[in-house]
Amino acid sequence: MKPLSPAALQVTGLHVALSGAKVLHDVHASIPRGRWVSIVGPNGAGKSTLLAAMAGLLPVQGRVELGGEDLQAMPAARRAQQLAWMGQGESVGDDLSALDLTLLGRLPHQSWFSGLDAADQALAEQALRDMHAWQWRERYVGTLSGGERQRVLLARALAVQAPVLLLDEPLANLDPPHQADWLDLMRSLVTAGTTVVSVLHEISMALQADELLVMQQGRVVHQGACTDALSHRALESVFDDRIQVRTVDGQLVALPRSTRR
Amino acid sequence: MRDYVYQRPVVLGLLLCTATVALVLTGMLAGSTGLDDWHALGALLGLMPADADSGMLAQIVWQIRMPRSIGAWLAGALLGLAGALAQAVFRNPLADPYLLGSASGASLGVCLALVAMDGSLVAMPWLARLGLTGAAFVGAILAVAMTAALASGMAQTLRLLLAGVVVAVVLGAATSLVLQMYPHLLQSMQGFMLGSTAFVGWDSCALMLAALLPGLGLAMVLGRWLDGLALGEQTAASLGLPVQPMRWILIITLALATGAAVAHTGLIAFVGLAAPHITRRMVRWGSRHGVLLASLMGGLLLVAADLLARVVIAPRELPVGVLTALIGGAYLLWLMRRHKQGGGVS
Amino acid sequence: MKKWALLLGLCLACTWGWAGVTLTDDKGRKVTIAQAPKRIVSLLPSLTETVCALGRCKDLVGVDRYSNFPQGVRKLPQLGGGLDPQIEAIFALKPDLVLAASSSPGTERLAALGLTVLQLEPKDQADAVRVVRMLAQALYVADPELVIQQMDLEFAQAKALMPVGARGKKVYFEVGSAPYAAGAASFIGQTLSHLGLVNIVGPELGPFPKINPELVVRAQPDVVVVADSSFSTLAQRPGWGLVRALQDHKVCTFSQEEGDLLVRPGPRMGQGAQLLARCFARLYPKGQTP
Repeated sequence: MKPLSPAALQVTGLHVALSGAKVLHDVHASIPRGRWVSIVGPNGAGKSTLLAAMAGLLPVQGRVELGGEDLQAMPAARRAQQLAWMGQGESVGDDLSALDLTLLGRLPHQSWFSGLDAADQALAEQALRDMHAWQWRERYVGTLSGGERQRVLLARALAVQAPVLLLDEPLANLDPPHQADWLDLMRSLVTAGTTVVSVLHEISMALQADELLVMQQGRVVHQGACTDALSHRALESVFDDRIQVRTVDGQLVALPRSTRR
Repeated sequence: MRDYVYQRPVVLGLLLCTATVALVLTGMLAGSTGLDDWHALGALLGLMPADADSGMLAQIVWQIRMPRSIGAWLAGALLGLAGALAQAVFRNPLADPYLLGSASGASLGVCLALVAMDGSLVAMPWLARLGLTGAAFVGAILAVAMTAALASGMAQTLRLLLAGVVVAVVLGAATSLVLQMYPHLLQSMQGFMLGSTAFVGWDSCALMLAALLPGLGLAMVLGRWLDGLALGEQTAASLGLPVQPMRWILIITLALATGAAVAHTGLIAFVGLAAPHITRRMVRWGSRHGVLLASLMGGLLLVAADLLARVVIAPRELPVGVLTALIGGAYLLWLMRRHKQGGGVS
Repeated sequence: MKKWALLLGLCLACTWGWAGVTLTDDKGRKVTIAQAPKRIVSLLPSLTETVCALGRCKDLVGVDRYSNFPQGVRKLPQLGGGLDPQIEAIFALKPDLVLAASSSPGTERLAALGLTVLQLEPKDQADAVRVVRMLAQALYVADPELVIQQMDLEFAQAKALMPVGARGKKVYFEVGSAPYAAGAASFIGQTLSHLGLVNIVGPELGPFPKINPELVVRAQPDVVVVADSSFSTLAQRPGWGLVRALQDHKVCTFSQEEGDLLVRPGPRMGQGAQLLARCFARLYPKGQTP
């Protein structure tokens, strides 16, 4: 029996090209198990691309390992059970009810002919309740507001119950109270052993994670703890020193730095 | 603002089946004298005195009216199935089984087969019928292959749809060209283009059933996966679905279903578009039942249209495609209005 | 020579009005034809045949693609169909008279280009005779009555050919495979009734209704008339095995060319009637009980 590798996800020498243009150059990253890593960087840094590559959704040059195993070689069904991915800004699934959409998160655990059982229903319910979206379970997703739909999509990702959660812009359209709720949820998931990787453009929220993966122009510039000053420096420098990282009431925040002094 | 909690799929399914049976039975009474052929029923049930007339009537019911109604149902079911699959694969509620050019391909196939056989379209002997069906199939599949090649694979939905439109137009033009060279086929093809259930016999029914059963079976087995596609291709892939092979299988199935229907009843518009929509507004959409229900709805739509086509200006007939558009469109509009009032999906 | 031509022209003008012949065509348009047209374009086969029957075949410079009688006409430039005339080609021929069906598109365009367009669409036997007379006027043909008499003669011959045993028999005449029937109100229907036959499709259904195939089975016509291309599949239509006419082989088929005779209300309509009569004479030979 192989020992459990300490890294949930390991990316080595990753090169990704999209529509002929090179997006990621020789990326190395290691996502530790049971930790929350935030991928940050300016627009066009390749954050979403890296996340999608980690999820095994893009053709890549290089190696992506999930729990020590080559992701490309892994059968899709098992990968889907180990890894849940939520994409960015998708306006799909409008014709489904919130509950049905969330139940789709149970697909990786369903065999060909079996339907959904009580356990699946219970997990979907739990996911919706966690996202405070249970009251809309019968409503068509197309009739929900942006923030409400986002919570349903998040519930779908949670319903997979995968040990690794990859979320691209999970806070889109969410108002501050719900952002805070999401934060609490992430914390509790991570404490329970889930590995979370998120791409967030809200830097202050990104700073609440355990680690920062700082990217610029398709390369990883720095990976380190959020509380580490080196991480702060890396973060400030990729944003051309237009932000400053401070600690307020024990919490890290990123404030915009005006050029007019 | 509350949404409707819709009927349960089972309820809708039973309703559709009951309505279908009722209409097929009514179809037994609908003929060239309109809808008043109680004698026909009597003749069939053996209640009438056995004379030449009632014998003839019974034969008319059995040989003409029954296969016609049942054939209309089968064609409608095939088109409803194809429509539901098209809407799932393309995540577009406007997707239509004709979208990938499959109908144009089937038309061209039928046209070329007619040129080869140099005969008329209707009521061919069994083998020739298979030949025509085969030509429609082959035409439909080739058209879909052309579309896929043009869109360089099935990956992007928008490219695929555009390619489908191009192929449909080009093949339609090719059909027109062939008809210019063989103008005596014009009438047969015109009847084909308008769609007609006039000469559907038991052999057509058998062939259509042979196409419907595997199509439905496949759709039901892949049911949940169809819903997965609704989340977008990347999310579907992340859930472990083999997206590319699935699209191929679904698109081929929908082409076959369309080809089978088109070969026997010509081009009947709107059923493939309307049936899934109407079903979607009546029941919570979950694909294992969704496709089956859309199929049943399509069958019902076409049976009703065929009945009206025969009855309204008997002994003349209306083109059945006009009636499917009227019935389907009217019902859809009504459902949409009801929705708006209930604050439902726009 | 010129003087004579001028004198003749004056005489004609005096005979037929100040500015030549003015006719009202089937679209209600008033068309003035100043002198006998020497370059005629015809876009309807029955009108082509009428022009030739009136002896003006040599004045035809172009026809539509469906005009095929008489033989010589096939060598003329083909200018599209009645429904899709080639405006440019027609104009390039510089015709002084264009003959088209009332339903032909593009005639406005041709008229706007300065051409003289006469739209006639004969739909039944009376129309056919009227068109012969009108065209005779337009073409400055002195006496069309000969043509009309020939037509009447041919019709009378057809009637004479009809066997006694065939009188009053019920007929189903199919013009299209949808199926479209020729009703009693159509030109073909008129021909049938002139021959003493009864059409199973009555006048109330219109000239060419699309009928429920069941109607044929119930009406049990005595004779079925159908294009030979449709004939082979007739018996396989659902329920048509019950049609006695098919069982007894009481079927008249017509080829493409024979079909032209039957459907065109033109100078050869009598020949079309003769075609039918001969078929009936074969089906109901003298001396046999019907």
